[in-house]
Amino acid sequence: MSMIRLMLAAALVAAPGLVPSALRADDAGREAELLAVLRSDKPEADKALACKGLAVHGSAAAVPDLAKLLDNERLASWARIPLEAIPDTACDAALRDAAGRLSGKLLVGVVNSLGVRRDAAAVDLLATLALDPQQDAAVAGPAAIALGKIGTVAAAAPLDKALASPAAAVRLAAAEGCVLCGEHVLAAGKTAEAVRLFEAARKADVPARRKHEATRALILARGAGGVPLLLELLAADDRASRTMGLVVARELPGAEADTALAALLGTASPNLRPLLVEALADRGGAIVRAAIVQAAAKGDRDVRLPAVRALGRVGDAGSLAPLLELAVGDDAELAAAAADAIAGLPGDGIDAAISRQIPSSSGKKLVMLLNLAAQRRIDVLPQVLEAVQSPDAAVHAAALATLGEIVDLERLPVLVQQAVKPRDEADAAAALKALKTACVRMPDRDRCAGTLAAALDAAPDATKIALLDIIGEVGGGRALEAVAAAARSGDEKLQDAGTRLLGAWMTADAGPVLLDLAKTMPQGKFQDRAFRGFLRIARQLGGTPDQKAALCRQAFAAARDADEKLFVLEAIRSVPAADTLALAVEAGAAAELREAARLAAADILTKTGDSIPGGWEKAAPLGVNRLKIEIVSATYGAGEVQRDVSDALRKRVGPTPLISMPSPAYNTCFGGDPAPGTAKKLTIRYTIDGKAGEAAFAEDAPIVLPLP
Amino acid sequence: MSTSTRMHRRRFLGTGLSAAAIAPTVIPSSALGLDGAVPPSERIVVGGIGIGNRGTYDLGCFLEQKDVQFAAVCDVKEARRQAVKKMADDRQKNTQCTMHVDFRELLDRNDIDAVLIATGPNWHALAAVTAAKAGKDVYCEKPCSKNIAQSLLLRDTFRRTGRVFQAGTQRRNLPHFAFACELARTGRLGKIKRVYAHPAGMSAATSGWLPPEPEPAREVVDWDMYLGPAAWRPFNKRFLDGFNFEKGGGLVGGGVLEWGSHCVDLCQWAVNDRSPPSSYDPPKDGQLVSRYDDGAELIFREKGWIPLGSCPVRFEGETGWVEAGDSGKIVLSSPELMAGRTVAEIGGYPATFHVREFLDCVKSRGRTKGNADAACNAHIACHAANIAIYLGRTVRYDTAKHEFIDDAAANRLRSEALREPWLM
Repeated sequence: MSMIRLMLAAALVAAPGLVPSALRADDAGREAELLAVLRSDKPEADKALACKGLAVHGSAAAVPDLAKLLDNERLASWARIPLEAIPDTACDAALRDAAGRLSGKLLVGVVNSLGVRRDAAAVDLLATLALDPQQDAAVAGPAAIALGKIGTVAAAAPLDKALASPAAAVRLAAAEGCVLCGEHVLAAGKTAEAVRLFEAARKADVPARRKHEATRALILARGAGGVPLLLELLAADDRASRTMGLVVARELPGAEADTALAALLGTASPNLRPLLVEALADRGGAIVRAAIVQAAAKGDRDVRLPAVRALGRVGDAGSLAPLLELAVGDDAELAAAAADAIAGLPGDGIDAAISRQIPSSSGKKLVMLLNLAAQRRIDVLPQVLEAVQSPDAAVHAAALATLGEIVDLERLPVLVQQAVKPRDEADAAAALKALKTACVRMPDRDRCAGTLAAALDAAPDATKIALLDIIGEVGGGRALEAVAAAARSGDEKLQDAGTRLLGAWMTADAGPVLLDLAKTMPQGKFQDRAFRGFLRIARQLGGTPDQKAALCRQAFAAARDADEKLFVLEAIRSVPAADTLALAVEAGAAAELREAARLAAADILTKTGDSIPGGWEKAAPLGVNRLKIEIVSATYGAGEVQRDVSDALRKRVGPTPLISMPSPAYNTCFGGDPAPGTAKKLTIRYTIDGKAGEAAFAEDAPIVLPLP
Repeated sequence: MSTSTRMHRRRFLGTGLSAAAIAPTVIPSSALGLDGAVPPSERIVVGGIGIGNRGTYDLGCFLEQKDVQFAAVCDVKEARRQAVKKMADDRQKNTQCTMHVDFRELLDRNDIDAVLIATGPNWHALAAVTAAKAGKDVYCEKPCSKNIAQSLLLRDTFRRTGRVFQAGTQRRNLPHFAFACELARTGRLGKIKRVYAHPAGMSAATSGWLPPEPEPAREVVDWDMYLGPAAWRPFNKRFLDGFNFEKGGGLVGGGVLEWGSHCVDLCQWAVNDRSPPSSYDPPKDGQLVSRYDDGAELIFREKGWIPLGSCPVRFEGETGWVEAGDSGKIVLSSPELMAGRTVAEIGGYPATFHVREFLDCVKSRGRTKGNADAACNAHIACHAANIAIYLGRTVRYDTAKHEFIDDAAANRLRSEALREPWLM
């Protein structure tokens, strides 16, 4: 769901067809008021909503009036809302009574309600409806399901009979009723009765899917005794049976099921085995784990691959050795899956085993072990430092990457050195990547940034920029100092990097630095970047609206030309506060700023309403006045393809001609693109202070209604 | 490195979404049940029910998948039927997509394996339950239920029928949200104290009635089918915005359910998809506080978010916190929490991965991330919060019995009768 739709939903104060929350449970007289509505000549709409109110406030006293509505095709569905909700047996009696006189859909409605209420006294009535051979299946079916929902032993008896109905739809419903009823009686401890019901549904002349539901219920009801039936399902020739078998294989608890399913993995058909591996992995536990290890080790590759992957979820220390073997094997896909699985194995024992193997390994295996050390963050720093010196490029690269994952702050200079004095260009990139990985996870950001800053002077030019980027990623006060120094340096490349990083800084402490740069740097790209960066911080991170407004005023004061002032006026439109309004009014004195100031003032007043004392009066000189604006109609589209967007605009219109939408993109605001690939326009008919106007806007243009 | 700071990869990978988890599960074609490796056996035949704006987006995600054949569309609006058929036929280069007004016709087709349900929320639960009973796997847009009773019925039906269910909570299959939830779920943040969801508006109202307007011809808009399980009212075209019509059944309006079915859903995932909170206070100062049985809080919060885009969530534990939003970015209390991991930054909440996971589970019969049990718990939390808003007081919820404690008024709002002849 798009955010725009959501914002519109959030603004649903008086949306169509909604009745605001006026009902309160502590409103003692409410029932009488609502009943008075039902007894009056008021329109159906009022009576319908009175029914909704009675769902909360009604009692047995409301039942006679509600019962009368059960014969009313328009209001019966409203009446059943309270009749299902009121916790009084009078509702049951009224529904049973209505069932005796109604027919067709209205009868189905009360039958369904009796099922929802689980009215045990309705069993005979529902049994008659379900079993009457003359009865329409559209009634008999719901009656059978209602019996299932009631879920007593008494309700079960007619369900048995309904399973033999000549009508297929009734048999289908009766089978559903049997499963529902069986679940209820099982929960009541009557296992034998439940099993009987499930068995009956399984044997009925109903579609396979209903039989499978009954079979599932039967297997679960029997527990360990259901295992043979589960195996039967999984061994079936048809896909639907196996599908349900795989579901139950995940559900049926117990060691008996574990053992049987583990054994099946060795003997099942090739089609089933990969799927069974998935199901076994979902079960977990020692028995199935052993079976999955075995399946991973040898045999059909279509089974091995899912088995290896499954060990990532259910494996343990015992799985390490076979997985290590696979991880250095020739089958690249199996090897990658095995390495990934090892990365997920639990326990410090795994880490120790991997650590022990590193010194005696080389080549492909050493690379794999180093990668695992990185992924598992195993403390093998001495071994990794040794591997960094390896002449084997693959080992060296893996060691660098591992260093990035495991090095601590004390040893960080080792990695910095690798970055500053790399073996070659490719090595420089790898070292910088590892350095960044290490730095962004250092808890002490200032010390980390200090270490990096100290390396700047000695670094080659290209590396300096990369180090600055990492410093920017690290963040914090020391990083800000280093980046600010770069921005203030005489080196254009450092200035570029410094202002770029400051422009994207995510904490407000960069504000004073940016403002100072905006004031002191020579006019140009970097100064402009600093100015805009300061404004961004003012708007996004400046604190309360008043604090943001103060920062915007500083920016306006620092602006060197009209363009920068216009930029500030645009920015304050999203900072609705008394001081930004005052700033707009002051700025409007200059002719070249007047239109932007007028838009800013209008936007601020639209957003703040009357909360700024004297705001409208202050803005009047700019031509911003409180207006009564009504949207008569609005369409958006092209040619004959037009979408009615009146409501969307009505929700956004305020007391000024400016209509501020949640997004500049019309397609986003108006529920999608009504005419893809075609130039569209928005046409609005409106009144301002009673005078009619009409305006058309090109797609995505700002919406400012001309005064008629 | 000390043991205390070591990351336990297994717990991460076991429950979260690694880069590999975005990739499709590899199930050989021979395992798909038709005992042959011919391409048709690998296809999942999909039908669409109620395909409007959101549904069209979802459908695009389905049509991107090579193993999907979109075979039929059902919509009560003729214009939508035609538009979706054209879209599907154009993409599939055939003319085989059939059109239906009544979704039961579509469900009767034996060749259809799964359905995409993107009707208005009024229909979601009923259509999903009916589809499951008809033997179809279901991808259902959110909110998936109108009230607590429907949430439970949805859960129970999908358990009973063994069908695969994926709620349209696509953020569960986006790496940064998954990672944030994983940090909370796996103990990396310490014991979880508070999880925050953005409700985008906290109000509750009852659905209503608008002045009658001339009813269109049934072929153009089938008003009776559009109303479906909602109580009867005369046609008014303003109701045809399915998004706002009967969204919450008994209680409509505000973003607690609408947005909560995403944000609360993520919070629920962060606390291991446990039972929903057991007490809910009415909103105060832009916050609605609910509490789990262990004292942890689920807080619906309007403001105070780090600007990370829409649908923000925040999880706070005893030792750390994480916040994430639709920009694809996450913010952590300590960079150390990120160590050892690379989390793809995918903004804009695409549903492609979520659809793919659904299709994989259709094949493997595995459990989707947006499964019916998880969706049930998250939706109950939203419905209960809405009830607290509506009643204007604290309500307490028994998560075992699924009833409010000593609160008759709240209990009456747990369900709402369906219009005849519909039943779940």
